[in-house]
Formats: sequence, structure tokens, C-alpha cells
Amino acid sequence: MAKHADLSIDFLGFKCENPFFLSSSPVGSSYEMCAKFLDAGGGGVFYKTLTTTIPEECSPRFDAPRKEATPFISFKNMEQTSDKPYQDNLDMMKKLKEDYPNKLIIGSIMGMDEDNWEQMARDYTALGLDMLELNFSCPQMTYEGMGSDVGASVELIDKYVKAARRGSHLPLIAKMTPNIEKMEIPARAAIKAGAQAISTINTIKAITGMDFDNFTCLPVVNGKSSISGISGKATKPIALRFITNMAQDPELQDIPLSGIGGIETWEDAAEFLMVGASNVQFTTSVMQYGYRIVEDMISGLSIYLAEKGFDKLEDFVGIALKNIIPADDIVRDFKIQPKIDYDKCVGCGRCYISCMDGAHQAIEWDEEERKPTILEDKCVGCQLCLLVCPVYDCITPGKILFKEEDQFGKGSNTEWKEDAVNKHDVIVGKYDRP
Amino acid sequence: MSNSNNVGIKEGISLKPSQGYLEETVPPFTPFLAIEEASRCLLCYNPLCSEGCPADTNPGDFIRAIRFRNLKGAAEIIRSNNILGGVCARICPYEKTCEAACARSGIDKPIQIGRLQRFITDYEKTTNFQALDPPKATKEKVAMIGSGPASLSAAATLAMKGYPVTIFEEKEKAGGVLSYGIVPARLPQYVVDEEIEYVTNLGVEIKLNTRVGRDISLDEIRKQGYKAILIGAGMQISKTLDVPGKKLKGVTTAVEYLAKARSKDANFNAGKHVVVIGGGDVALDCATTARLKDAESVTVLYRRTREEAPANRQELEYTESLGINFAFTLSPAVFEGENGKLTVVRANGTRSKSAMELEADTVVFAIGQQPEDFSKVIEGIGFDKNNFITSLENGTTNIPDIFVAGDIDQDSIKTVVNSVQGGKIAAQSIEEYLTKGGK
Ligand SMILES: Cc1cc2nc3c(=O)[nH]c(=O)nc-3n(C[C@H](O)[C@H](O)[C@H](O)COP(=O)(O)OP(=O)(O)OC[C@H]3O[C@@H](n4cnc5c(N)ncnc54)[C@H](O)[C@@H]3O)c2cc1C
Ligand SMILES: Cc1cc2nc3c(=O)[nH]c(=O)nc-3n(C[C@H](O)[C@H](O)[C@H](O)COP(=O)(O)O)c2cc1C
Ligand code: SF4
Ligand code: SF4
Ligand code: SF4
Repeated sequence: MAKHADLSIDFLGFKCENPFFLSSSPVGSSYEMCAKFLDAGGGGVFYKTLTTTIPEECSPRFDAPRKEATPFISFKNMEQTSDKPYQDNLDMMKKLKEDYPNKLIIGSIMGMDEDNWEQMARDYTALGLDMLELNFSCPQMTYEGMGSDVGASVELIDKYVKAARRGSHLPLIAKMTPNIEKMEIPARAAIKAGAQAISTINTIKAITGMDFDNFTCLPVVNGKSSISGISGKATKPIALRFITNMAQDPELQDIPLSGIGGIETWEDAAEFLMVGASNVQFTTSVMQYGYRIVEDMISGLSIYLAEKGFDKLEDFVGIALKNIIPADDIVRDFKIQPKIDYDKCVGCGRCYISCMDGAHQAIEWDEEERKPTILEDKCVGCQLCLLVCPVYDCITPGKILFKEEDQFGKGSNTEWKEDAVNKHDVIVGKYDRP
Repeated sequence: MSNSNNVGIKEGISLKPSQGYLEETVPPFTPFLAIEEASRCLLCYNPLCSEGCPADTNPGDFIRAIRFRNLKGAAEIIRSNNILGGVCARICPYEKTCEAACARSGIDKPIQIGRLQRFITDYEKTTNFQALDPPKATKEKVAMIGSGPASLSAAATLAMKGYPVTIFEEKEKAGGVLSYGIVPARLPQYVVDEEIEYVTNLGVEIKLNTRVGRDISLDEIRKQGYKAILIGAGMQISKTLDVPGKKLKGVTTAVEYLAKARSKDANFNAGKHVVVIGGGDVALDCATTARLKDAESVTVLYRRTREEAPANRQELEYTESLGINFAFTLSPAVFEGENGKLTVVRANGTRSKSAMELEADTVVFAIGQQPEDFSKVIEGIGFDKNNFITSLENGTTNIPDIFVAGDIDQDSIKTVVNSVQGGKIAAQSIEEYLTKGGK
């Protein structure tokens, strides 16, 4: 076997076998389901959120839009909290912790009012669970004062965290809603009120598509539908930015983060770790592909880390934060012009179309030869052509040109030269080429 | 502009094939295409493709790993199950194994499992990824006779468990049929060399130019401290038919013809008008070799129909596309010659009164092979009338420290992937035998 790095990592004092957890949702809503995931290698579970009263659910309740032939670009759900009796769930969580003492078992709570939050926290604590997650973020609750309404209100967060704290001595993780501009504000409130960590994102309020006969959004429930939360691959970019924002927030320094949103592969997971999450959770990918995906997460991440020479996963967490900088600090004195490998080019003309219609008319098209040529003086180096070219490594970053200003300085007439006076080293990225 | 993406499209037939003898026919996948193909995979539950692989290479798992962008993990899955993953990726009879079992066929066509496997083993190479990390070889010494797929697989399996292994090979190159039989258009030599290097990198030693029974005896091997011995000697004798004129110059066998073509690449003379007798993959390899080595006419004579021919369909079509003639339900009746040299082949219908006369300076018998007689090399070994060694359970024989795998094993299916599996199983038996103290 190849060299594999150790993936164990601490989370609020618990030594996790690896950073891969089920997020609170139907994928972790019974003893058997959680056990199956843990047996497949998962590091822990955030058990499905409970409420003391069972909510009523609708049917159907999901939608999974496609882009071209790819299904599950994102995933919409209209589900609420667990549909099993409260006591049954408590029994299952208790047994899970007893049977899997080395795995992280976390219960997720959503109370109706302060007393209810406190009581639930007390009930959960008696089970021997490792930590509690406070669900401030479900966007489709049908009761007022529950779900993502809470996550948007600093006052409610303060009240409910304190209530949960009265009921439990366990570490508390506040699960935040992305249906807000600045997540740092409610996150700070949660920490101030006594939470130890933040997990996010929960689902994003959205409409995935429309029904063209019933004139409502999807899924159609008896001719009608609602705005509700989406998760899955399309939400990952948004989730990554929320985690980054919080990891870079001076007031949230050293607050552990648990990253969620669109994680399917080890690379997705590693992205969250790089921007400061010390572990990750996922649901939609498991709903689509099953618990077995964790096997490739473990294998892929451990091989990558071993190759990169990381001894501890901790050293990898947040490694990208120093390189994600404000837009006005980005160096803008050079451009990287693409180059075309004509041995690989199949003459589809896609680069030409995109440059003509979406960039700077910097590609010339020879219809006879079906051959694109990049016009150096017009090309701004945006690399749109590189991204649209369907052939692997056909268009790649090429010549680097540096800006040389005339005597009038910045904003004046500039010339682009390969060996300009201010020539410097440039680090070039690879996009997502494996 | 190159055609590298026009997968499977063959140019029209010309007198001289556009492809060179050493050029690989099927182009590789790029990473984009591999991930696209892996996305076609249904990611089945208990996938049948995995059950379809005789060597448990586990396509279900490695395709899933590709889909989830764990390309190195995919390499690890392949290598830890099939040390000749890159070879098998090119020459396995998928249409009868993994791809035959693929559930995607129920929608349109099977996943191109072989090409995905090839993509991963190539990727492993280009990224210098070490999928296997063997322990120190501290256990009992094991010897193997022959360096074909069976021994290579057994040797790798044992090396991964800490056994020092020495392979004795009579030829100057290792690999058996991989190096001396299969045409480079299907299996380039560099692939074979790389996989052999993979095995030697695990610590396995290969002693070339050493024929067991001539350069070293079994007793000597035992005396040198080898506690278990695997016979992986394959089938080195080509069968022929008793056709009048068989002694004429120009009449040869597949084993000889292919080995010459491969080893003396530059001055091998394929013949001008070549007749190949047989209907299996070996016959096709002979015909392709003749054609790619510039024979003017190549005819394959087969005694049954096209449908009954055991050859791989894709290869059959490919061979036909090279402009090779096929004459079915015909069998050679007599070879005629002038001055001791073959000039004409006469064939008669096997199912009709048809007859055929073919101008020929070369005839290649490709109607099957059999092992050499091992009864003198290993005294007391059980074997059948065709020289195949009688295996008991899991590659054991009637002699406790002697094991058998690959083509020479009486019960084996004669393919590379089955030989790989045979090697793995025999290795397990060897390990069991040695851990029990050699009893
Ligand atoms: C032309 C041809 C094409 C084929 N095409 C395919 C194909 O496309 N796909 C497929 O799956 N299979 C194919 N096969 C079958 C496949 O190659 C064999 O099943 C496989 O190679 C058997 O492996 P092996 O290790 O048993 O024997 P071999 O590959 O025959 O190796 C045996 C080795 O033992 C050595 N040896 C023999 N006796 C001694 C001795 N006394 N001392 C030392 N060394 C000795 C030989 O020199 C040889 O190197 C083909 C076979 C041929 C001939
Ligand atoms: C069907 C479904 C039900 C969910 N139920 C809950 C829940 O009960 N509690 C909760 O905190 N989050 C719930 N979520 C949100 C997920 O835990 C997770 O935060 C979100 O789906 C984003 O992750 P993903 O892209 O990996 O799915 C649910 C998500 C889905 C798809
Ligand atoms: S998009 Fe790529 S393949 Fe198509 S014409 Fe442009 S360079 Fe060639
Ligand atoms: S980099 Fe942008 S501007 Fe330059 S050729 Fe490509 S698409 Fe056009
Ligand atoms: S049987 Fe076919 S579709 Fe199913 S997992 Fe295997 S390759 Fe994929």
C-alpha cells in the first residue's frame, strides 16, 4: 500500500479518527444508518435534528435539477426535523454512543422556546453524547420562531444558546444559516452566549425550477410548492466563502469550525479544511451515492496529505487562509496569455466563440483549417478560452507579459512586455486538472 | 491536426496499413474523458463488473474512485489486486469478463473498463505514484520457473508479504508471452517492461538466460535454500497438423513467428503471401503482425465459421479492417513447394466440397499450444498426456514444495488475467505451506 497520512484530528477535545461526519439529516436518522456509515469508516455523526413534537411532512419533498446530463447539480428539500418519536431517537443515540465509543456522536436540537431548548439539552446530555449541535438554521420549519429565523436573529441566538447551556455541560456547536449576508455577526453572538464551535452551512433558501403545467415551483405538492432549502454541489462555493469569512474574523479566532455544503469528494473536503474547518459534514452526496463515498474521501485525502508531507491534519487546517486576500491586494501588473497546443486541438471553435462573444475578440478563426490563433495584442489573459476548451491541456497558460507604464504612471498608456522593467516571478495555477 | 480524439475510428483500408507495427492501436483517455466515462458508470450496488474480473481487480471500486476524483486511490485498488493492471487493461478479453457483466449495457453500452484501468495505470506512472510499499523480505526464499504473468503475479503477492522471490527465466527477456507473443499494437513492450520493473521494484529478482533443467536443476534450486517452487512455465510448444509438405521452408508456428517478429524487429521477414491457420487470438496476432510488417496478402484459414471463432470480436474486426482475408470452414490439405520452399497452400472445405488454392511463401500454424514435458525436470510431478501439470487444490501439486500456476496448470483458463489470478492463489498456498513450517 502507498503511504497514507494519519487523518485523526481534535474537535473540542475529542480525538476524531478522521474529519468526515454525516451532517444532521435523514442520512443519520436511525441507529442502523449511523452505524452503517461508521462501519464504512466515517469519523462521526451529527444525528438528525429532533423536536419534541413530530412535524408533518409533505410528499414529494425533493427536487434535483440537472445541468446538461448531470443530475443533482443541487438538491432541494422540504423536510423538517425527525419523523420518529422523540424517545425512540434518544434510545438510538444512546445505543450509538455505547456501541461506538471512539466515534464522535453529536445530537442536534431544535427547541420551541427557552424551556424546551433547556429540557432537550438535558435529555440529550443524559444519553452520554459527546456534544450538542444547536440547529438555528433549517429554512423550512412550519413553526414560528424556529429554524433559520433564529439564525438571523442575534437576540434569539443569545436566548437559546444560554438555555441549552443551562441544560448541558457538553460542548455546544451552533449550526448557522447562510440565508444572511454576514454570518460572523450571529456566529459571534452564539460564541458569546456560550457555544464552543460553529458549523455551517445549512441549506440555502431557493427555487430550483418550475413546473410548466401547474405553474408552481418544484417539487409539486398537490399543485402548489414553497421556497425551501437547497444543498449539494452548487452550494459549495457559498459554503466555502462563509467558512473563510469566519475563519478570518478576528473575533472568531480559534473557534473551531465544522464545514458543510456540497461535499462529495476528498478534494471538496480538503477545500473546507484549507479554509479553516477542522472537520466536514455532508448529506446530499450520501443521499445520492451512499455512505461508501467516505472510503474514497479517506483514501484520497490521506494519500494527498502523505505526498505533501503533512504529519498532522491540524497543520493543513486553514493553510489557505493567508492566501485568500482582499481583492485590492491582488497583483495586477501582468497577464498570462494562453497558448494552444495544435497537436491536441480538434478544431471545434469553442475558444473562438467564447472569446468573440464573451471576452475580447482576441482569437482569429481560420475557417479553412479550422484553426484558432490568439492575437497577442488583443488578448487580456482572462483565460476564458482555456476554461471552455473541451480538450484536456490543449489550451494552457503561456507567455507572461508585464505592464510597463509610460512617464505618466498608473492609468496612463501602458505597454505589455515579456521583459519589462518590473518583471517578477509569477505563480501559475492549474485550475482543476487532476 | 491529429485524430487523437476520434476514438475507434479507423481509416479506410489501404494496401499499406497506416499504423506501424510498434504503434498502439487504441488511444489513451485524457483525464477529462476518463472522468466523463466514469460518470457514465452507474456505481452499482455489489457491481457485477467486479464479479466479472477473474483476477478481482475490482473495477466497481476503482471506477467509483475515479468518479470521486481519488485517482491515486484507484491506482492502489488496481495494483493491490492485479500487479499487471496496465497489461490487463490492454489485452484482457473484456467482452467476456468485466464489460460483459456491466449493468450499463442495459441502457446503452458497457463502461470502457479496460480503458479506464489503462488511464489509471498510466496516471500512476506519470505522477510517479507508488501504490505499493513492500515490507522487508525476511521470510523463506521462494523460486519460480518462468517469468510470465503467472509467476510475476505470484512473485508480487509474496513480495508484498515479505518473501524474497527469485524467478528463473530461460529467455533473455522476462514477461513470457507478454514479451514474445502478443503484438505491440495491442501491448507495447514499454508497458510490459514497466510492469516487470514494478515487480522487481518490490524486491523480486529475475535471473534471465537460465533454463531450469538445463542451466540449473531442481535439486540445485532446493540446495540453494528455496523452500517452495512455483512452475509458471506456460505453453511453449505450438501444435501443428499433419499436412503433407509440413517440412517445407516457410512453414512455421505462431510461437516462433511472433517471437521472431518481436525480438529481431528490424530484420524480421514476415513473408510476402502469408497464410495463418487458426481462429483464435493467437492467429489474429500472427495475421496482424504479418500485415503490419508489410506482407502483401494475408489469409486466415479457419476450420469453423466466423461466429464460432474463439477470437475476440473487436480484434477480429480490427484485423479485418487492416485488409486481412478470412477463409472460414476451410482446412489445409497440402503444402506444395519448389526447391524445398513453400509456394502454394491447398485447402479443402470442412463442411462442403469447396477447395481453395492460395499462393503462399509463409504458413503459420496458430491452432493452439501445449507445455513442454516437465517430467524430467521435476521428477514425480503429476501431469496429463498433453504435458499439463495436474494441480490439486489452489495451485498445489502432488509434491509438497512444488506449486503450479498459469497456462501450464491443467485446470487454468489460458489468459493473462486468469494467470494473474492463478499466481495470486498459488502464492496464497505457498504462504500457507511456509507458515505451517513447510509441511
Ligand atoms: C500470441 C498470443 C496472444 C495472446 N493474447 C492474449 C490476449 O490478448 N489476452 C489474454 O488474456 N491472453 C492472451 N494470450 C494468452 C496469455 O498470454 C497466456 O495465458 C499467459 O501469458 C500465460 O502466462 P504464464 O505465466 O502461464 O506463461 P507464459 O506467458 O507462457 O510464460 C512462461 C515463461 O516461462 C519460461 N519458461 C518455460 N520453461 C522454462 C524453464 N524450464 N526454465 C525457465 N523458464 C522457462 C518461458 O520462457 C516463458 O517466459 C495470448 C497468448 C499468445 C501466445
Ligand atoms: C433532506 C434533508 C434534510 C435535512 N435535515 C436537517 C436537519 O434535520 N437538521 C439540520 O441541521 N440540517 C438538516 N439538513 C441540512 C444538512 O445537514 C446540511 O447542512 C446541508 O444539506 C448541506 O450539506 P450537503 O450539501 O452536504 O447536503 C438537511 C438536508 C437535507 C438535504
Ligand atoms: S476550444 Fe480547444 S479544441 Fe476547440 S478550437 Fe479552441 S483550442 Fe481547439
Ligand atoms: S484569455 Fe480571454 S481574451 Fe485571451 S484569448 Fe482567451 S478568452 Fe480571449
Ligand atoms: S457494472 Fe458497469 S455500471 Fe455497474 S459499477 Fe460496474 S462498470 Fe459501473
